[in-house]
This record gives sequence, structure tokens and C-alpha cells, in this order.
Amino acid sequence: MKKHDLSVFEIEKEGFRLKLEKGPSVQAAAAIAPAVAAQPEPASTAPETAPPRPKAIESVPLNDIVSPMVGTFYRSASPEGAPFVDVGKSVTEDTVVCIIEAMKVMNEIKAETSGVIAEVMAENGKPVQFGQVLFRVR
Amino acid sequence: MFEKVLIANRGEIALRVIRACKELGIRTLAVYSDADVDSLHVQLADESICIGAAPSLESYLKIDRIMSAAEIGDVDAIHPGYGFLAENPHFVEVCESCNIKFIGPSSRAMQAMGDKNAARACARKAGVPVTPGSDGIVETEDEAIRIAKKLGYPVMIKAAAGGGGRGMRSAHNEPSLKSAFHSARHEAQKAFGNEQVYLEKLIVNPHHIEFQIVADSHGRVVHLGERDCSIQRRNQKVIEECPSPLMTPSLRKKMGSAAIKLAKSVGYENAGTIEFLVDQDRHFYFMEMNTRIQVEHTVTEEVYACDLVKEQIRIAAGQPLSPHIAHAVPRLHAIECRINAEDPANDFQATPGRIDFYYAPGGRGVRIDSHVYTGYTVPPYYDSLIAKIITVGATRTNAIDRMRRALGEYYITGIKTTVPFHAAMMRNGDFRDGNYDTGLLDRLVSAGKLELASPPIRLRE
Repeated sequence: MKKHDLSVFEIEKEGFRLKLEKGPSVQAAAAIAPAVAAQPEPASTAPETAPPRPKAIESVPLNDIVSPMVGTFYRSASPEGAPFVDVGKSVTEDTVVCIIEAMKVMNEIKAETSGVIAEVMAENGKPVQFGQVLFRVR
Repeated sequence: MFEKVLIANRGEIALRVIRACKELGIRTLAVYSDADVDSLHVQLADESICIGAAPSLESYLKIDRIMSAAEIGDVDAIHPGYGFLAENPHFVEVCESCNIKFIGPSSRAMQAMGDKNAARACARKAGVPVTPGSDGIVETEDEAIRIAKKLGYPVMIKAAAGGGGRGMRSAHNEPSLKSAFHSARHEAQKAFGNEQVYLEKLIVNPHHIEFQIVADSHGRVVHLGERDCSIQRRNQKVIEECPSPLMTPSLRKKMGSAAIKLAKSVGYENAGTIEFLVDQDRHFYFMEMNTRIQVEHTVTEEVYACDLVKEQIRIAAGQPLSPHIAHAVPRLHAIECRINAEDPANDFQATPGRIDFYYAPGGRGVRIDSHVYTGYTVPPYYDSLIAKIITVGATRTNAIDRMRRALGEYYITGIKTTVPFHAAMMRNGDFRDGNYDTGLLDRLVSAGKLELASPPIRLRE
């Protein structure tokens, strides 16, 4: 894992799910604890109504919303406006999650996935590159 | 002088540009695709931004993402290298409108020379001899037949939007002309999005001799002699040398003047190369102009004692031609061998993959321009050039023997490379005698005349 700069590795039985994460991770300490004992997530359970889970056995898959372009990341439509999304907000494929400004053009970025925003990965007003993770979605 | 430059390229030329910038004290911003995240030039650049997925169309050709990276990085100038966007006039215009200096000619000059057929017209106008050919685009089969009859077979059908040895078909008689005409147009449409073709008389067994010109923004244009690039495999250069074994002082003077005249006539600025074909009787004909720095600029640098990439940057920053370039005098002889990730024992099939071990030769008079290293994976998405080895010698024979010596030390495992092929060429009698033309290599390869030896050394990996 060290060779490939992986800091998180998760595994789940039954409906086999594998999660690898590159680079430093905030959850490193908790996630290294084996997740083998986790119960497989029933497909019908909506994330909001799922029973609270201890972090160490967080086995719900996380989707990433990644940047499709090079530009500056903004969380809201205007400097004094409210952010498009926050942690805990539900999104569907067409939900606008942020703006990436490239060459003076404000591009609205859609989630293209559905779920709940688990983490905001990019910093407001900072440059992002192609493929950079913007949001983690649960 | 610029404070920060974006390098819109990859591989060995990106490394070349970064080296020049570092020596000039300029900060560098590398843009790269997913496939090049481990590239040497990305690590050496002061900053780097990922601009897309591996395929060139999704990264290195994405003008909007490159400009966005330029804006974020707050760069003063962009160096396009060669290939990709280096000869894209639209890209130059975008740079101009964003107030970012494109290190190269203006979009107008680039456009004038970019259309190969229009370039011939420019040459004619400037009184520079051109290969006898059609007066412009040939639209119909009947027209092609008529013109070919007048020129005399064999003829070459060339794409107006082509270049770099691509988009060309030869025809030796009328029946083959008909099919070649239509397939050339079809190929041109597919490869360049433009089906326009023109005809040229096919000069049999010519030398490909090109002249390096350097022009500043104050109207001064000089030439730095010629390079002989006749050793080609399927119209792709593999070995280049400076000076040309065919050249004489008076021919150099005539061709050099023609090159300067042509560059001046289109208001050319920065580095560029004028390519000529020279027949057995030493008649020279303009073929095309490359409005960028070339792969083989290295041999000119070694013989004329200059750094062409640094000069490109200086010119773009508005400085007049450096005195050492304006008064450059050739000394010594230089040869370059392009080392590709290809298997010479297997029809030069591309061999991308991980380089398990890489040891490059050294010693006096050996220069290596390469971005690869032990453990580096050559990606399959781009050209197969992994290194350029250049040797310098007091005489042509010295340079050849030095190359032969150096290639014997070049140790690359994990992938196949063309090192053994070049070693065989350095032993080849015709090459050593300077007795070659653009057809030599293909003849040697198809006759199986090149003995590929295994490397004499084995290193513990």
C-alpha cells in the first residue's frame, strides 16, 4: 500500500465492494481497522434513514464528483450567496453542485451522481485541475 | 524577460524547454495528461496542472484547458514544443487574445506557411525554386492526369493540410495515379479534415536538406546552416546530421539566402526550418516550412554552439538576435539518432511499456536528450520517441565512430528500442560514405541488410 501511496483500503463481503484511496486521508486511522465484519448494506435502505454506523466500519460506497475541467472552484453563484450544496445535502444527477470558472466563463457543474454530500474536498476560490475530487458523495 | 512560462507539451521536448527556462531563471508550469503524471518534466516544473485524460484529443490538444491552466498559473508565455498545438494558428490567436505570448511566429506567418500548397505559392513569389508541380489544388482526377502528364512520371500527390511526411502518395503511371489521387484525398480528409491535394514531380532519390532560420521581432533573419535528414523510414526522420555530406559552400550560400528570403517574405519571427529537396545534380527545390522548433534542432546547436530554445524565449520576450547567433560559424560535425520504443526486429512495431533498467552513455562529445528513466512506463498514447542521442566530432567520421561507441553503452531493458538498428546504421558502408538519399533506409530494411546485434554489455538490474 505504501508503494502506491494508498492510505485507505476497505473490503466488504457478500456484494463485494472494494475501496482504495490514494494519498493522505483524514479517516486513515479509523478505516484501517478491518471492515470485514461489516454487514452488507441492503440496497433498499435510503442513506438518510440508515441507522448511524461507527466510522471504522463505514462500508457505504462513496462516489466522487471530480472536476471535468481546469479552473477556479466556487461553492456559490456569487460571493455573498449561499453555497449550492453542503455536507448532508441530497443530490441527484442534475443538481448543480458548484461553479468552475475557466477563462472568465462560469461553468455550472452538475453532480452526475445521486446521493448525499459526504465531504467537500476542494477549497472555495482555489484552482482545481482535471480529475481533481470536488465532493465525496455517499 | 518572462517570469513564468507554460509548456504545452510532453516528453523530451517538454524537458528541453524546462531546462532552457531554468537556465534563464524563468518559472515553469507543466500541463499534463493522466498518463504523464509520473513524467520527469512534470516533476521538474515548478508547478503542474493536470489537463485531461490520456488521449491527446482529451488533454494536450484541449486549447480551453491549456488556456485555463495558463490563466490560473498567471503565465507570461506559452512554449508549444513541436507537434500538438505548435503549428495551430488558431491556438496562436487564442494566446494573442489572452495577452499571453506564444513562443513562435505570428498566427499570420504560421498560416501562410502552414498550408503546404500556399507555402509553395509564397516560395514561387519570393523567387525560391519549388519542386515542379501543380499551380494549386487539384480538384479532379482528369486535372491530375493532365498535370501528371505535363510534369512527367513519377509524381507525388500531397495533402495541402499535411506535413511531417504524412498525407503523401506516389504514382508511377496513369493507372496508379487514378487510385492514388482518390485514396490520397480520402486519407487527407480523415487525417487532417481537409481533402485538398496538390501534385509535385517526384524527385527520385533526393536528399532532404533543411535550413534552420532564426528571426527576431526587429526584422533580423539569419540562417544557421543546414541539416541532412535523408535517413528516413517511411517518410519519418530517424537520423539527422549537420552539416550535410552533400553540401558545398556555394550551395549553402544559395540555399541559405533562399531560406532567409522566404522567411522575410512572410514576416516570420522566431525559430523555423525551411525544408528542401536536393537532387543528384545539386539542384534544390523548396518543399515546405516548419514554423516551430524541430526534434533535430540539437545537431545545429552542437555545430553552431548555441541554445536555440533559449533564443526562442529571448526573441519572444522582444530581445534582438543574440550576437553569438547572428554571427554563428559552424565548427565540428554532429549526428543525432532518434531512439524510439519500437522493435527493429519486428517491423518497428511500437513497444510501449515499463523500462526496467535504463543506462545512457556518456563521455566526451555525447549528448542525451531524454525524459525516460529506470522504472518509467512509456505510454501507448503518444509518439514513440524516448531519447535523442547526439554525438559531436571534429570530422564526420569521428562523429559516426563516437556514435557507434556510445550506442554500444546504451542499455535499456523492459522494452525493445531502436538502439541496435542505429548501431547497424553506424556500421553501414553507404551511410559512412555519406552516400545516401531518402530511399536508402527503406531499401536496406526491406532487403534485410541491417544486422541487429545484441548489446555488448549486461548490467546487474
